[in-house]
Order: sequence, then structure tokens, then C-alpha cells
Amino acid sequence: MMNDSQFVEVENLYFSRGDKEIFRGVDMHIPRGKITAIMGPSGSGKTTLLKLIGGQLYPDTGRVQIDGLDVHRLKRRELFRLRRRMGMLFQSGALFSDLSVFENVAFPMRVHTDLPEAMIRDVVLMKLEAVGLRGARNLMPAELSGGMLRRVALARAIALDPELILYDEPFVGQDPISMGVLVELIKKVNQALGLTAVIVSHDIKETMSIADYVYVLSDGKVMAHGTPANLNVDRDARVSQFMHGEPDGPVPFHYPAPDYYSDILNEGARP
Amino acid sequence: MIKQRIASLGKSTLDTFESLGRATIFLCQASIGIPGKEGFHLWLRQMHFIGVMSLAIVLVSGLFIGMVLGLQGYTILVDFGAEDALGQMVSLSLLRELAPVVAALLFAGRAGSALTAEIGLMKATEQLSSMEMIGVDPLRRVVAPRLWAGFVSLPLLTIGFSVVGIWGGYLVGVDWLGVNEGSYWSNMQASVSFIDDVGNGLLKALVFALVVTWIAVFQGYDLVPTSEGISRATTRTVVYSSLAVLGLDFVLTTLMFGEL
Repeated sequence: MMNDSQFVEVENLYFSRGDKEIFRGVDMHIPRGKITAIMGPSGSGKTTLLKLIGGQLYPDTGRVQIDGLDVHRLKRRELFRLRRRMGMLFQSGALFSDLSVFENVAFPMRVHTDLPEAMIRDVVLMKLEAVGLRGARNLMPAELSGGMLRRVALARAIALDPELILYDEPFVGQDPISMGVLVELIKKVNQALGLTAVIVSHDIKETMSIADYVYVLSDGKVMAHGTPANLNVDRDARVSQFMHGEPDGPVPFHYPAPDYYSDILNEGARP
Repeated sequence: MIKQRIASLGKSTLDTFESLGRATIFLCQASIGIPGKEGFHLWLRQMHFIGVMSLAIVLVSGLFIGMVLGLQGYTILVDFGAEDALGQMVSLSLLRELAPVVAALLFAGRAGSALTAEIGLMKATEQLSSMEMIGVDPLRRVVAPRLWAGFVSLPLLTIGFSVVGIWGGYLVGVDWLGVNEGSYWSNMQASVSFIDDVGNGLLKALVFALVVTWIAVFQGYDLVPTSEGISRATTRTVVYSSLAVLGLDFVLTTLMFGEL
């Protein structure tokens, strides 16, 4: 059943890459107009999940619905039309390196609208002002710092006023100041535009401060979900290990390996 | 042990056919659809990068190849007192074989490798993914203009190669070694057929253009997005295109000139 207040529905999603199972039956409901965070340790397939939602990867079984449309059943042309209603902020920013900051933000408008040049200029300057980089409009992406790249990418992602925005690790590798700036920006953008946001992250403090609802992924499944306040007091050992950042616990610190002692003695002459 | 070998042979065969299939679907998706005004501008830009920027290397090579042909042809023909046929020899070798093949090989090295590396780096830096998420099909926006630009520019480069090569043969044969100027040009005029020689040479160039550009853009689009993947794909572009050009040249020559 499609609930009207849900914007994205992920149902019983299975996905594997080669022999490695990444998702084993993931269910998620992402409410309209809220910020939903998807958290989990590195390698738990968070970015893969965003690519599945955006229709860039196809699941083995299960389905993803956005606003009632089954993403993976759409024809190529319909999928591209659906994507105009989404914005995605990539971890690396993924700005077009041959275009200036201004042209990068103008790009979605140039290809999808027939707006006159003067209006495109106004909108681009508004979006750049919102991320505080109006003065940097003539720079090339190679001249920007990591934090600035991500802010320009955010301006580009909201250029067409999307209904859904996907953030892939927005806080990774940011210094404390630009981290704070990004947190504020994401919150502001969400309140001002009333859009649905999905944040994939493992920066607990920052994500918890802005998320309305949180899913925690582990071992290809949803390990826990709830509001930030509920999760913080969750007594499940795995959830509390992740939420409080303890190095070892039910989620192991070590990658699976044979017995340490016999490995050191090189019994069985492994390389 | 043997079973393993058979299995790995089967796997590599399947992989090869799978990638051929992917390459064909890729070509169809990228080349269909009439580009609008925007597409024309993108195509024009790529014509500059792919065609105009390859002009220097192609023309200089054409000049030298023509000069070598003039020199080698003269030393052989003069033994039979047939140096008057130099114009015929130079023009036929260039139009039928050397211009399409050498221009295609140079094009694969100069433009093909650049195409692979450029598209590959766009993939590695997620620019292609972000374009998809903006709702723009990178096959149409990035690949199609490059494919069409390569397809159009190589035949033009081949014509330039022939022209400069024939002039190079003239420089060495007539100006330097003293072959009669009138017989150089009139023998050429009498023996070169527009359809059979110029036309077939251009047909070869069109086929090579399609194959080289296709290999280059597909290798870029399909590569493993790491620095190692990009370097491997760039190498593969040059190796596969060169082999494909030389192999296809034999097939085309058999079909075109085999019954002479």
C-alpha cells in the first residue's frame, strides 16, 4: 500500500555485486518533506542504496517506488524525466570540470528549461548566494576547495527546485567550519523548499542534529530505525555500539580472517 | 586442473561476447536520435578537439609518407625506365591504402586515446553519474557528439592526408629527382578512377572512422573507474583500434580490389 505521506518506498530489496550480497531484504519508508538519514558503518552499502533509489543500479529483487512510480520499471526516457524531480549531492561534488561554477549551476536549467538568459542568471546567483559562493561564480572547479566544491554541487542540485534530494556522505572530509556550514545549509534548504531529503552518512553527531528519522543499516539489513532521540537510548548492543562510536563490539573491528596465531606461524603456508 | 582451464576458457568467451553485446547496444543508444541546436554546438566543439587538433599530425605524416613514396618509387621505377609512372604509383598507393590506414592509425593514437581518457575520467569523477541524476543522458550529451565528430572528421583527415602526400611525392619526384612534371600529373589523371580509387578509399576511411571512434568511446564509458582502469582502457583503445583497422583493411581490400 502506497501511503500518501511516504515519498520513497523501498520494499524487500535484494542486491548483490558479484558473489557479495550487499542487501538482503531492505524495507524503508521515507516520509515526504522530512529529512531521513541512512546510517551505517563504511561498506554497509549506503551509497549503493542511493544509486538504487536514483535508478542507476538495478536490484536483484524488490522494488523502489518514488511518488508512486516504480523506478526500475520505467523506460529510459521516463526515468530521466523522473530524475529531473530529484537532486543528488555526490561525495566528490562531481562538478563538470570543463564548466565554470556559474555554468555548472546553470547546467540543469539550460538543458531542461527554455528560460531566458537573464532569468537563468538571476536564479543561478540566488542559488549561489544561498550557499555563500556568489563571489566565486567565475572560478573553475579545479580552483575550489573541497568544502566549496560541495556547496557549489548543492547549489546545482537545488537549481531546479527538486522534490527529493539525495545527499551522499555530505560531511566526509570537511573541516569543522565547512561541516557546520553544510549542516546549516542542508537544514535551511529543507525548511525553505519543503523538500524530501535523504542523507547517507556515518557522521553521527551532525546527522542526528538535523535528521527527523534515522535508519541504521548493517549486514545488508535495516538493523534499527526510529527518531534520533529513540535511537540514542536504544539498548540493542549493536545499535548502541554504532551510536556511541565504540571501536569493538558486536560489529567486529576485524575483517574476517583465519586464526591470528596460526596465521602468524604461517601454518598451511599461505602467502 | 583441465576442468578449470576449460571453465576459464568458457568464461572468457562469454565475457567477450557479453562485452561485444554491450558495445553494440551502446552504439545504438548513442547514435540514434536527431540532435537539436544544442547537439550541433556540442558536435562542433568536438569537431574542433577531434578533427582540427589532429590536423597537424595527419598532414605532416602525409607529407613525409608522400615524400618517401616518391623516393622509393623513383629508385625502383627508374631501373625499368618507367619513372614517368611515378604519379600513378604515388597516388594509387595513397588513395587506396596508405591514406585511410595510416590516418586511421594516427587518429587512434591522437584522438582515440584522448577520447577514452576523457570519458573515463568523467566516469571516475562521477561526472557521468551526476549528469544522469540531473536527468541528462550522458550517452546523448557526452558520447553522441564525440562519436559523430570522429565519424565525420577521419574521412576529411584522410582526404587531407592524400592531398598532402601526393604533393610530397611531387616535391621529391619532380622538383628534386627530375621526373617530367607533365607525365607525373597526366599519368595520375589517366589511371586514377574517381569511384574505384577515391571512392573506395573514402569508404575505407568511413569504416575505420566508425570502428576507431566506437572503440574509443566505448572503452572510456565501460572502464573500471580507477587510475589503473583508465590507463588500461587507453592502451586497449590504441591496440584494439590498430588491430581492427589493419584486419578490416585486408577484408575491405579483398572485397574492393580482389578481382583485379
